[in-house]
Amino acid sequence: MSEVALLQLIGLGVIGTGILILLFIQSRFPRVIGFVMIVLGTFSLVALSVPQMASLPPAEEKFDVASIKTANDMAVIGQKIFFSKGQCALCHSIGPSESARCPDLKGIGAKLSREFIYESLTQPQAYIYLDYRHEGPPKDYPARMPHINRNPIGLSNNEILSVIAFLQQMSGEPITVSPSEIAMPGQPVSVTAPARAPALPSPAKSKTKGKTKKADAGEAGLVAMVVHGR
Amino acid sequence: MRNHDASHGRVLRRLNVWGLSIAGLALLAGLLGLPVSGWAEDAAGASATVSYRDIPQLGGSRNIIWVVAQLHLLLAGFVLGVPIFAWLCEIVGWKAGEKRYDKLAKEFTKLLTSSYATTALFGGILLFLLIGFYPKLMTYLTDIFFPSFLVYCALFLLETVTLYLYWYGWDVMLEGRVKVFHLFLGFLLNVFAFFIMIIPNSWATFQASPVVIAEGSSLARAWAATWNPTWWPVNVHRLIANVVLGGFICGAYAGVRYLSAKSAEEREHYDWMGYVGNFIGVFGMLPLPFAGYWLMREVYQYNQQMGITLMGGFLSWLFILQAMLIGVLFLGANYYFWLGITYRIPGAEMKYKRPIMAMLVILLLCLGVWMTPHSLVASLEEARKLGGTHHPLLGVFGVMSAKMTVANLMILVTFMSFIMYWRAGKEETATWAKVAKALMGGLFGVAAIVIIVLGVWGYFVPAIVRINYFSVAQVLIVLFVLLTVTPLTALLMKTARTTTEMVWGRMPPRAGYALVLNAVMVILLMTLMGYARSSSRVHWHIYGVMRDSSPYAYSPALGYAAVFMSLNTFIFCMLVAFIFWVATMGDKGHAKDAGHGGALPAMAGGSQSLDQSKSS
Repeated sequence: MSEVALLQLIGLGVIGTGILILLFIQSRFPRVIGFVMIVLGTFSLVALSVPQMASLPPAEEKFDVASIKTANDMAVIGQKIFFSKGQCALCHSIGPSESARCPDLKGIGAKLSREFIYESLTQPQAYIYLDYRHEGPPKDYPARMPHINRNPIGLSNNEILSVIAFLQQMSGEPITVSPSEIAMPGQPVSVTAPARAPALPSPAKSKTKGKTKKADAGEAGLVAMVVHGR
Repeated sequence: MRNHDASHGRVLRRLNVWGLSIAGLALLAGLLGLPVSGWAEDAAGASATVSYRDIPQLGGSRNIIWVVAQLHLLLAGFVLGVPIFAWLCEIVGWKAGEKRYDKLAKEFTKLLTSSYATTALFGGILLFLLIGFYPKLMTYLTDIFFPSFLVYCALFLLETVTLYLYWYGWDVMLEGRVKVFHLFLGFLLNVFAFFIMIIPNSWATFQASPVVIAEGSSLARAWAATWNPTWWPVNVHRLIANVVLGGFICGAYAGVRYLSAKSAEEREHYDWMGYVGNFIGVFGMLPLPFAGYWLMREVYQYNQQMGITLMGGFLSWLFILQAMLIGVLFLGANYYFWLGITYRIPGAEMKYKRPIMAMLVILLLCLGVWMTPHSLVASLEEARKLGGTHHPLLGVFGVMSAKMTVANLMILVTFMSFIMYWRAGKEETATWAKVAKALMGGLFGVAAIVIIVLGVWGYFVPAIVRINYFSVAQVLIVLFVLLTVTPLTALLMKTARTTTEMVWGRMPPRAGYALVLNAVMVILLMTLMGYARSSSRVHWHIYGVMRDSSPYAYSPALGYAAVFMSLNTFIFCMLVAFIFWVATMGDKGHAKDAGHGGALPAMAGGSQSLDQSKSS
């Protein structure tokens, strides 16, 4: 007997019991219980008569280092991380969107260098707006972007590099992240030297105060680098 | 020596009591500790890395949590709805000088003491089970929301103190300035209750619509997570729904007592109580669909995929069931109004027979449209004959434009029933009465026409225009009618002459069953929408953030879920009946001792002085 048939049988049993109570018991309270049983049994039967569809979870994606052979493999994994563990799509869109709460990332791989993206993900306060909406010296206007390599998101260095590969590929740019940069399990995180000079910050980020910032190599997985703002 | 023995006896008794208490606590701890004991199956060996625990022998962790969480939520809705209901009744009684409203308010406030304990008990069980079954999720949520946990605890203390003062101070704060202070206590009770409701709402809504938590103090992080996109829509929706639940449960209680009433006084009293409960339930029910619409809009705004899962995905049939339940609720509420007009107001039956029939037909037609599915599950052959999965004729009723239109029309019709009942048996004496009545008639007519026109027009415009402008306009029109006609009628009735006195206690037994049916529908609706909200997260504990990787990550089919909803509804009804029974038990004894001998209804929390003043 299928599960639905069994549940239908139970529903019919509940309705039958309710009818028997109404037929043979005169005391008011049990009669009300019988009435409620008929209502609930009927509801269950109606719900069992509509198409029964369960929502099964998709297979869980694993970051399998061994499977990465090419930069494209990294981009495929990066895309999955972008829409799942990385939580990027919670706020960012790829292309215009009314519901996006943070900047549209379409073409971001063409606008920013990999180092700049890396820094934006791991040190979101490195380049920040200044708030002039008050008297006196301007104040920092902190970015709403979380540190993506810390809890609760906590992407690993490998995962961050894969996301960068995805952002570059999605923007039609050549992927500058190499599979050789991926750390194998147990292997210490490699120190990734900038492949090329940092690109100029995008116009949106150019309204920043001059700041020399030393990245935490252990945390960010990059060599210490000097960022020249205005 | 005797003293010595007595002292020994006291000590032994005390020890006995302590022993029993400790044994009880140990038993409770043992039961609650099952998940963490050897019986429970760890997902992994070391406790630090355990993500899930389970008790498959008891139906599985998900099903256990489902029942306990649902019961806790329903009880919480009840204990938050009842103070609103009681406070409103107390204000009416105070302003109108009608003691029976005050008595009714007290009768329901008495329930709070026992129902708070039951709700807290289920809350405690739920918390232990959550910590046991979902340690990883709970650690994550605790990390984010810990400051609000503390606020929640503080609010509970404040709420408890206020409830004690409100309940135990009732009889000493009956008149004058102290009565105003008592009303203020009732207000405070509701304010604390409101915050007690919205704090856990933030935890639940964060799971459905999380925001990214940036760096900052723990307070800043908790606040950022609390202020998530669906928090306020859910707060408003639940607040109104709690009023509806409180009203209809009051009605159901009155219905059951009315059915088993043995004297004319009891019948009169419980008939009147049923009327008040139904009135408050309907009063809350009218704006509820608007709050629901806002919530769905925010869900779509937040994540279109989640909206589609709800409205067009595997949960789409759920909304057909929702339409059925709401339809029955609307019919039940209207039917009760119509019975009231027919039986309580002698001579009104013939006068209102035709409008009642017309309203019944409109309601049934609207319900038919609302319940029309968007697409049909058909075989290939059937689909070929239909020319697709949409029925060529009925398919047009399956879309949101039609459903929004009929939902608004049903609200209008119910409001008309309410106004009709209000005006029945009275004759307006104001000089401007004719103009006011014509204006009200015109408002209803124009509103209905505009709603239908916008509904039809909605088929020919892009969805975004319909959602952002047409549907909003329909809602605003109905709200305008509600907010215009209600004060106008109140003004008219202020000077109206009563032509036929309302006679209480003459309703047929089916009126009592209609009240019970309404309450069951509201409870079922709450359980149904609980399943919808939970299932809309699909395989995520926290949508897009923390994946459910347990064996229960799937959302069960509607039929299976409906059986659980029915079970939860039944258990909740029995719990509420038990709470009512316990609360009235002592009063029955008092009534007998006082020699009333059942002449007066046994009132939960009924003041003897009030009873006596009524009997004299």
